[in-house]
This record gives sequence, structure tokens and C-alpha cells, in this order.
Amino acid sequence: MKIVEVQPQVDMSRCSGCKTCEMVCPVYAISVRRVDKKPVVDIDTDLCVGCWNCEQRCPDHAINMMPCAPFTISVDVSAYNYDEIAALCRKAHVHPKQLVCYCTATRAEEVAAAVIGGADSPDKVVRACGVGAGCGIECNQPILRFLEAANCSFERKKNSYQWYGRTVTAWDVPQEVKDTHPSFRFEDDKALLERVVNAPIRNKSK
Amino acid sequence: MLLSEINRNNLKNPGDLIMSTEALTPAPTRVSQYGVDPKVITKRAAELEGITGISLSQLISDLPETIYPSKKGIEAIREHTTKALDKVDFSKITDGSTVNILASHHGFTFMGGQPYSEMLRTIKDIVESKTGAREVRLRAGLGMRFRETEEYIKAFGLDEYFNGKAVGMAPIDAGVEIDTKLGTLFGLKRAYDADFIIHAHNSDVREIHFHRQVDRAVKPFGMSYARCETRSTYHMNLGPRAANFVARAIFESEFVQKKFAFACFLVMSPAGAIDVDADTNLYSLNDRVTAGGMKHYGKIIELMGSIKECIVVLDFPCPVPYVFACGVIYANLVSANIDVFDLDQPLPPYTWYTETFYDDTGKPLLTDIPGVNPAIKAVVHNYAWIGYPSVFFAEQTPTIMVGEEQAELFDRDPMNQNYMKHALMAGDLDTAIAFAKKTTGTDKIIVFDGASGGLNVSHSLAEELKEIAPDVCARVDNVLLPKWLAQRNVDPKLLENIA
Repeated sequence: MKIVEVQPQVDMSRCSGCKTCEMVCPVYAISVRRVDKKPVVDIDTDLCVGCWNCEQRCPDHAINMMPCAPFTISVDVSAYNYDEIAALCRKAHVHPKQLVCYCTATRAEEVAAAVIGGADSPDKVVRACGVGAGCGIECNQPILRFLEAANCSFERKKNSYQWYGRTVTAWDVPQEVKDTHPSFRFEDDKALLERVVNAPIRNKSK
Repeated sequence: MLLSEINRNNLKNPGDLIMSTEALTPAPTRVSQYGVDPKVITKRAAELEGITGISLSQLISDLPETIYPSKKGIEAIREHTTKALDKVDFSKITDGSTVNILASHHGFTFMGGQPYSEMLRTIKDIVESKTGAREVRLRAGLGMRFRETEEYIKAFGLDEYFNGKAVGMAPIDAGVEIDTKLGTLFGLKRAYDADFIIHAHNSDVREIHFHRQVDRAVKPFGMSYARCETRSTYHMNLGPRAANFVARAIFESEFVQKKFAFACFLVMSPAGAIDVDADTNLYSLNDRVTAGGMKHYGKIIELMGSIKECIVVLDFPCPVPYVFACGVIYANLVSANIDVFDLDQPLPPYTWYTETFYDDTGKPLLTDIPGVNPAIKAVVHNYAWIGYPSVFFAEQTPTIMVGEEQAELFDRDPMNQNYMKHALMAGDLDTAIAFAKKTTGTDKIIVFDGASGGLNVSHSLAEELKEIAPDVCARVDNVLLPKWLAQRNVDPKLLENIA
């Protein structure tokens, strides 16, 4: 669950219209256009998840995060069939109760519910359950793994930095790599992850 | 003079004993958007009554001499970097080449940041003088605080030194696809936008909970110089030991090998910088870093793991897990109840894999997931930064935050929205310490304040550490170090040639 308490405000006297903010926004809440050769920045505050990416990467230091009326972004897991949630989690190789986002404490079951509820691209998943609205780094792959497990097809927006693609997991490390580098203990770690994925579920959300 | 006043004056000789309190001088506070205004920190833990400095030489007898701090001052870093680079082959870099010196934020957190900065400056000067190259840039990667290296670049005048060609790189910046043995992984475009790259790093063990001293010298290729996809692969996709192959896969790619010129490392011990090492063969350097790291840091980490009970004070300009005491970070103490160098142990008590394996009842999903170090009875958060997801630490150990300003800073941080839900708050450091002592029943205090050459502890803990140190050191030398080296296929003879 993400608690949004701040949102960006642009100081247009500093903005050069470089579009960096647009390219790093995880939910496409910012768009930059030019009117009479001057930059205009549109921010959709209904979409914005208050992650600070735009403020942190603006090369002109033109963005300030300002307090907003607080609101939360979360999914009601109890509104979905838990067996379906658990099945999707395990297909994505995560335990339903496993933490997926350290920053917002979003668990796998919430990401699964968001996807089952219709979030079919990374930005929609972020907006639906708040995952990815903290550091914006570590949950990148789990989000893509969930979408792949749900057979969602989506395309990367050109010239954007939100995400590039899914990468290798413990379940698809090439055998040659495992054979030639046994000291990295690929099989042992895969076995550990599988034990976690298949651990019993305590406290099933209803 | 109060230590807090000295800090604000930027001490020139960190590690000097302050006779009035017998405590070691802590690392200075730092102005940063990731920490509270240093003026808010009205008292450092070293100023607490009963805190005493204990030098590393009182605990570990065979640590090598440091080149920094030393009487030569910062000049020693230039001298040793020059000497190390004398043996490096520069022939593939020509006067028309573009060169990126790749740096990382961690290096700037040692001893105020000057030694690492001086190593970077020296590398630039030598590359230019030996090759005639004029397009030598600094590209400084970072962790999760996307402007942190910009702050260091400014603070150490590196932008001017690199003629306006010094930039920070964040993991959400433009990426570049890299074809590897693990399939496509993603690097940062700006790290690789030159003909050649020079890997300029540091050797301290630091995040041993993540890298397990496996390919320590290679890790930045999967982290500081990598996109978020690659970092997420490391922390989420492969498992706690297998993940270390990510950096190796990128480094061995044709794309990186074509650009890689050499590596230059500030070699560290818990007491400070002990050398500068450079090599065109990263794996040779990696073997030296691996062996040296275990030899130099194994004893202090094992010693920390032998502490039976303590109150921890966080008091350093870094996020919670990265605050320093005698060259090791708080996260090392959190995991010190197991032998984190032992690769037969799958999971340290703190890693991001471990953190994800706790469910919403607060219990681990598997019974064999090790809990955090039970010796840590309470944590007093006097001064530590935001910009790293730290709620796990407050969830697992009673935490007392000092000061409303710092609590508000954490509440605003998108990575720590729940930290203060698990922490208590005290108005000042003395109140926090008194409460921690009363509720835990221990008077043993260890301070993570970056004091150089030793650590600040309560008298009671100082006595305990001095008493147990000889046995701990003998155990590392005779039992543990041989096992750790064997697990990594590192020849023990290598230790004979290491500083």
C-alpha cells in the first residue's frame, strides 16, 4: 500500500523542457510539450504516485515535491478469489505473502490481485497497488514476472526509461552456466526459492 | 571544545582522541538532502558520558599500517595510486580516445571522502599524461539516492577537476542492452558511452550480506553501473548466492570487454586505506580483494558477532544499514549472529531476499530462515539518512528515533513510509539512551559513527571486547579463514603478498 502525501510542482522558470521527468515517471503522469517554443509540463495528479523520480532526476532542479491531500493506493485482496491469486503468484515464482516492494510493503498477493483486476502493463500495476512507487528499482522484475505469468502483452514506450524488459530468473539460468560455475550455487539457491514459493500460506486474506 | 563543534569545523584528523571524553572523534555530519540539517544534531554519541574509544590495535594485532590516515596525509593516496598505475598497460588508450572513469558512491563515505576523491583525480591525471587522451570523464554510480553522487561531485570539486565532465548516474537513467551468458541484461548508457572504461572502486567488505565476498571486485558491473532491471535481477530473481553471477555475466560480455581498460581500487582495512591496487586483469585483482577482505575484516566482523548484548547508536551520514563502526557497517552487525563469510549458509539474517521471506504476520515463511542478531537489544537512531528502505530494521529491533525533524524526514521518504510506525521517538539523545538502558537492562553500547581507527563503545563493552578478542582472532586465523578461502577457490598463499 502506498501512501501518497506529496506530488511534484514544476518551477517553469527553471524548466528547459528536456522531458527527463516524462521518461522516468513510472505511471506516465507527466507529459512535456512546447507551446510557442516554450516548455509546458502537464502533471496528472490523479495518476501521480508521489515516487520522487521526477524530482530526483530533473537536471534543471525545476521540480519540488509539495504536500498534497494524502491518499492511499492499494488493492482489496479480499475482493478476489484467493486460489486464483495464489496460483498466479506461484506461476510467477513468488509466495503470495512474500514482500515484493520493500518501500511500500506491497506483497505478492496484492500485485496478483491488481493484475487479475485488469492491470495489464507495468504502469497500471504501479497505479493499482502502489508497488514500484518507492525506490522504483528492486520490484522492477517481479512486476514484469507477474505480467508475463498472466500472459499480458504490452509494449515499451519508445524513448522512455520506465522499464526495458524481463531478465533471467533462477528458473531459466542456462545449464551451461550452472555447469561451468558451480561455486555460485545456482541449484541450491533455486531450491531455496522453491521452498519459499511453496511454503504454506498463513493468514489467507479473505 | 564539544565534539559537535569540532564536527562542524570538519576535523582534519579524524580518529584523534578527544581527551575530555576519551572517545574517538566521529565522522563529521554532512549537509545532504538525504539527512537532516546537521544543526539539528545537537549531540553526537561520542559525547555521551561513559563512551570510550577503543583502537583497533587493542583488539586485532596484525592489521597492516594505513596509508591514510597517516602523517603523509592525502598525498599518500596520490603516491600509491601513481605507483599502482605504473604497472598498468595503457597502450590501448590513445590520444583520441574517450575514457569514462566509473566510480561509485560508497567510496566517498570513507574517512570523509577525500581519499577516494584523490584516487579519482590521480587516475585522471595519469591517464591524460600517459596517453594524451583529453576526453576523460567521471561517471559516478549510486545506490538509491539519485542525487547522492552529484552531492559528492560538488563537495569535492570534481566537476571542475573533470572540466565539467563529471556526472552522477541513477539506475532509472537511459539504459543499454548487454548480451550476456545470462541473456540480456541492462547497463547504464552513460557508463558505457566512451571508447574505454576504468573501474575505480574500493575493497572494503561492506555489503557482505549481499555479495558474500564472491566477486566483490566485480559487483559494480551489476549494480552501480547497471539499470534497475539488472539490480532487480540481482536482488529478486536468482537467489542470495547465485545473484553474484550477474555482475560477472555483464563484465564478461563482449560489449564490456571491448571497453574495459583496467581497474583501480582503494584497498581498505577496518583501520583505513592500506594501499591502492590496479590491474588490467580484474579477476587477479578480485582474488586479492577477496582474500584481503576476509583477512582484514573477518576478525572484526567475527568479534562483533561475539558480542552477547548491546544497544546500538546510529550516528553517521548514511542510510541505516550503511552507518560505520571500525570500517564495517551496521548491516554487518545485524547479520553477525551467523558466519556470513561461510557460503554453506544460504541466507544471512539480513538481505533483501531474507526480508521478502517474512509474511504479514511478521514471521518467516520457512522455519530455517535466520532471525536478526539477537544481541542487538535496542537501536538509538541519532543520525542516519533516508533513501534506503529501512523498515525491516525497525520491525526487527526496538528502535528509538532522536528528534522530531528526523522522524518527519523519514515519514516523507517514499522508501520509508512505515519506518516510524515501528519506532519510538525521543526528544534528545540522552533520553533515548536512558530509555534504551532501562528497558533492555544492558549498559553495553556500540556506536556506529565512522570514527577512524577504532570504535566508540561503553566502558563495559570495551572491556568485553578486549577480553574476547584474542580467542576470536585465533579462531579466524586457524579455522575460519582457511575455510572461507577454500570455498572461493582462493590460494591461501595469496595472503603472503597482500598488504
